[in-house]
This record gives sequence, C-alpha cells and structure tokens, in this order.
Amino acid sequence: MRISFNFPRAIGLILLLLGAASLLAAIVYSSSVPALIGLGLVFWGIIVSYIQSDEYVKKTILNSTSMTLLTALDETLRTLDCKGKAIYLPPKYLNDPESTKVYVPKLETSTLPSPETTQQLEMQPTQKSPQGILITPAGAELARLLETELGTSLLRINLEDLLRRLPKTLIEDLEIVNDCEIQLFAKKRTEKSEENDQTNQSEIFVKFTTTVYRDTCKRAARLPTIFSNIGCPLSSALAIAFSKATGNPIMIKTQQISEDGETNGTEYTIIEEPVA
Amino acid sequence: MTPAFPLGPWDVSLVLAVTAIILLTTSEILSPYYGPANLKISKKRLKNAAMATSILFLTTVAIRIATMIYGIS
Repeated sequence: MRISFNFPRAIGLILLLLGAASLLAAIVYSSSVPALIGLGLVFWGIIVSYIQSDEYVKKTILNSTSMTLLTALDETLRTLDCKGKAIYLPPKYLNDPESTKVYVPKLETSTLPSPETTQQLEMQPTQKSPQGILITPAGAELARLLETELGTSLLRINLEDLLRRLPKTLIEDLEIVNDCEIQLFAKKRTEKSEENDQTNQSEIFVKFTTTVYRDTCKRAARLPTIFSNIGCPLSSALAIAFSKATGNPIMIKTQQISEDGETNGTEYTIIEEPVA
Repeated sequence: MTPAFPLGPWDVSLVLAVTAIILLTTSEILSPYYGPANLKISKKRLKNAAMATSILFLTTVAIRIATMIYGIS
C-alpha cells in the first residue's frame, strides 16, 4: 500500500504540536517567553496547514497536449472542406443550453443559419450534404472554468458585468494572463440599420498578455483554419463567454499575435439578429 | 501557586499584528499584477489567511478601545 505524504500538512502539524507544547509549558511555568513562541507556532501551524500548494503541471506538457488537439481540429476542418468563418452559437441555437458549439459553414459566403437548422444539425450530425458542421471549440472547458471562478453561470450574467469582472478573474483567479484590456464598441440600433443586419453589429476588442498560453498561441498561429477562425484556446473561451452573456452569435473578426506569442489582440463581432 | 496563562489580550494582539503584516506583505508581493511568481502556493488562500488575521487583529484593537472608552476591565 502506498502512503501519500503531504509535506506542507506535515510541517503544519509539527508546528501546531510544538506550539501546543510551548503554550502548555508557559502555563505550567507561568513564563511569557514560551507563551509568545507557542502562540507564534500555533498561528503559523494553522496558516501553513491552510495555505496548501496548488497543483501545477509543466507548461511544456500543457502546450504539447493542447497542440495535438488543435492540430486534429485543423485537420478535421480541412478534410471536411469547411472554409467559412466560424460562428460561436448562443444557447438558443442549441438543444442543450449548457452545451457549447461553434458552427463552421462549408462556404465562405454562407450566412448565419436559423436556430432550428443548428438544433437539427446537432441531433443529426451525420446528415447528408450539410451547409456546415457543429463542433466543440478549443476553449469550451476553459469557459467552464471561467464560469466556476466567476461563481455564476455565463447565461445569468450580462455583458457589462462580464466585461467588468473578466480582467480580475483572468489575472488574479485563473492567473492565465498578466495583463488584460477590454473595449466594447457598441453600435446603436437605428431603423435604417435594422433593415440590414450587417451594419447592426457591435464589437469587442480584447488585448491580453499571457505567458501560460504563449507557446500554444504562437504555434496555433501556424494553423490558419484554427487561428483566424476558431481562435487559440483563450480567445475561444472568451468568444464562448461573450456568446452566452449576450445571447447572440459571436464571430472572431481578427486575431493578431506578437512575434514572441505573448501579446494577443482579438476583435470579436457580436452578430445581432434582425428584429422580427 | 495555580498555573495561569502569562499573556494578556494585548500580547496576543501584538502576535496577530506581526503575523498579519507578514501575510499581507507576502500576499501583495505575490500578486499576479506584478508579474508571475514562482511560488507554488494557493495565492487565494494566502490572501484569505492574511485578511482573516488582519480582521482578528483589528477586533482585538476594537475591544481594547471599547475597554478604554467604557472603562470595562
């Protein structure tokens, strides 16, 4: 039988025991010196036991595993000859609102399908000659993690709240970016713009610096089907978050990356459906 | 002679103050806003512990002030 040894817990326990012994000695001998030492040891014992180390993996392992999946996704899209711009679908386009899917049309000129079409496509993914395919994007699980850190479902948060809370969550809680800048360019609805949905689009610009996803983003930039379309895992997770928070389809308009792969600037388009 | 605990609440307050300062400083130094740190501990828990110790210290101070104002011994 293998006994697992938790080093910080053992140190914490030793400090607690020494502190308790010291406090006991202070009471027996009525001395303030062992009492102070004992109090210090007890406090630090509790703190060391409480502040456990997080579980970490090497960045090279993270990059190797995620790159294989991204390459597989790129090959799948090229094999299926999907040339259109990927659209991150909001819950109303899917059968299960908690699921996350991206619609990749076959043709570059294809437009956004109706919710009924995507729901049918989700139920019958192998139907003959579909106009596009539905796939789970690279940042699906990361978006779920984002949801956990935010402490609320992305379906129950509005865009303004999400944009306000995102930098703190990404920098402090998840520690995946070092710096994050988000700008929303909202387009006002006018009677004229409602006639043509192409002019009726808001945009979100996100610029972040990451050392965690530096190599993944740098290598993903060599996969054109993935990078400019579905995005690297982090920009993909953000697209999912925006699509769920707005309830509108999201498209990655442009994605630019610095030479070292650390700085990433992504422009998202919120596709607002015409008012019925 | 009956055994008695030799420290008063003010001494405990001092220990708490020192611990709080150390934890708050460490937590601030390790903040991700100053760049990634190579210390593999849960920074969120460290921050919580620092806040808890600070609140405990401030509580002892509040008790002390209340004692001085109302003359409760």
